[in-house]
Amino acid sequence: MVEKEYPARLNQVSKRTAAAGFLGPATLVVTVMLAAPLLLLLRFSLNRYDIKELMIETVTAENYLRFFTDPFYLGVLRTTVLVAVTSTVLCLLFGLPLAYRLARLQSRWKSLCMLAIVLPLFVGSTVRMVGWMILFAHGGMIDSAVRWVNGVGLEVMYTPFAVVAGIVSINLPYVVLTIQSAIETIDIRIEEAAQSLGAPPGRQFWLVVWPLALPGTAIAGILCFILAMNAYATPYLLGGPRFQMMAPLLYWEFSTNNNWPFASALALILMSTTLVLTACSNVLIPRRYRA
Amino acid sequence: MTDLRSISRRAMLAGASALPFAPGLARAEDQQVVIATWGGDYANLLRDNVEVPVLTPQGIKVVQDIGDEDPRVAKALAQRRLPRGTDDVLCLQAVRAHELGDAGLLEPLDATKVPNLAHVLPDLRNQFYAPHIFSQQVLVYNPNTVKTPPKRLTDLLDPKYKGKVGVGDINYMYVMMACALAATGDVNKVEAPATRELAMKLNANGLRLYPSTDSIGAGLKSGEIDVGLMWKARVVMWQNAGIPVAASFQEEGTVLYISGMVVPKNAPNKAGAYRYLNAMLERGSQSRFAERMGYQPTVDNSPLEGKVAEQLSLPTGVSKFFTPDYGITGPLQSSVSEWWKKNIQHG
Repeated sequence: MVEKEYPARLNQVSKRTAAAGFLGPATLVVTVMLAAPLLLLLRFSLNRYDIKELMIETVTAENYLRFFTDPFYLGVLRTTVLVAVTSTVLCLLFGLPLAYRLARLQSRWKSLCMLAIVLPLFVGSTVRMVGWMILFAHGGMIDSAVRWVNGVGLEVMYTPFAVVAGIVSINLPYVVLTIQSAIETIDIRIEEAAQSLGAPPGRQFWLVVWPLALPGTAIAGILCFILAMNAYATPYLLGGPRFQMMAPLLYWEFSTNNNWPFASALALILMSTTLVLTACSNVLIPRRYRA
Repeated sequence: MTDLRSISRRAMLAGASALPFAPGLARAEDQQVVIATWGGDYANLLRDNVEVPVLTPQGIKVVQDIGDEDPRVAKALAQRRLPRGTDDVLCLQAVRAHELGDAGLLEPLDATKVPNLAHVLPDLRNQFYAPHIFSQQVLVYNPNTVKTPPKRLTDLLDPKYKGKVGVGDINYMYVMMACALAATGDVNKVEAPATRELAMKLNANGLRLYPSTDSIGAGLKSGEIDVGLMWKARVVMWQNAGIPVAASFQEEGTVLYISGMVVPKNAPNKAGAYRYLNAMLERGSQSRFAERMGYQPTVDNSPLEGKVAEQLSLPTGVSKFFTPDYGITGPLQSSVSEWWKKNIQHG
């Protein structure tokens, strides 16, 4: 009996060692590559900006105080969160039915449909934004079409609508693919069982599919929210100079003003806000449905 | 036969330290000049009109380090403590060049190092940069829709231009300089209350901010705007591209936009950098830039001829040009940027 157990335990130990051996280097590289720049960013954010010296080494909280005491910067953060939340809600609203239909599709066209969802990811987001610019611009397709109908054009470029539309177009494929893969794992017989017990389609979805798809949907939402919070090209190109979000603002501080300490503080504030809000979103999901 | 193991540590160190002075290696490095510049037409024109015809025959190989101006400035500042930087020549706007010069990062320039500096127009001379091109900031308008051209910046406050005036957001400092000139008569008073008041009034009249210079041309072409503020050089480029646009010189005077080249103190090949600057100031190089980009030559021995001379000629009576005092406006960039962000962009 002891002789049989011993090799099994040895086997388990050697498996653990092998797993650690495989995971160790990658984990170390990721940890160092993530932690080192963040620590450097934190250190820079505590320095003082000087036009001639670029940075004066010191330990001061003035960059953070400047942000939190100035209504302008708080307003930019508020806009960023609002845009990210709106984009996430819209992506979930548009993405969920699409993902459900795709997951339950039993057709030879399914691969083609999947390809159609993934296809936008083949084109860089900046290139896609240029396409939106042509569509939204003064004299562009939308403006011209509306002008042809009622004689007055419709200015969409450089509006919050343009920014949200741009972000939704970028994030939607990620949301659909994430939710679709979550729904694929739900056994269709459960839905059939609900149906056989007399539940109408809406009730079936709400009481059976939705709770089971919730963890995957939450991950899709979090992914979308993080991407939207950190959007740079979309607000810059479609929002124009008057529409301010955190990522373009911190790039302006870093590159145009050369204020690296304040830009570092902005970067850490943006990252912390995203992390805190992402953690808080977990509260919205009932405990029994959490992944 | 000498055994490698028999070489002493001291001899090895002495040999290693002498390596940089090895004639072959030193020659190879001296023949290469790295220029940090904008890309696109500007870089192509530098290659076609300065590097290939002038420097290549001299045996100088040029490497273009292409990028935006802001990261270029940031890199120069970050490399300030290094004994050897990565670039020999930096292409910068005059205001940014002065910023680096004031921070003690640039080699002072004179005609002993760069002989062609002797031909530079008097108003454009500066100890920190060799001016390459310049242009006047003028009022631009669509001649198809604007029958009476604006004559002063304050003319753009007319309600008939509401929502039809456009400026480049990246040119905020020059817009404020134009406001300063119109409101106070002094181009350097970019933070004066009257200057700010005029900028706010322009903004209240539906001022359109464009993220890039090219997008202003697109705005004029599509009819989104009728008037704006832009470099005369751009007017020439847009006219050549078929965009309906004309220029009007402000009665109060116009601000000069100057772009030039500088040599960092820690440039690896300063001798090569000076030769580059000299080649850039050659009359042939200068006139070809004017023909292609519409910027005016900065030297007195490169007269323009033909269509470009006609396009860049000054209307009768126009003589008031102002070069900002970068010693005053340079340190104000950060605070003006902050004000612009909060009151114009967000206003």
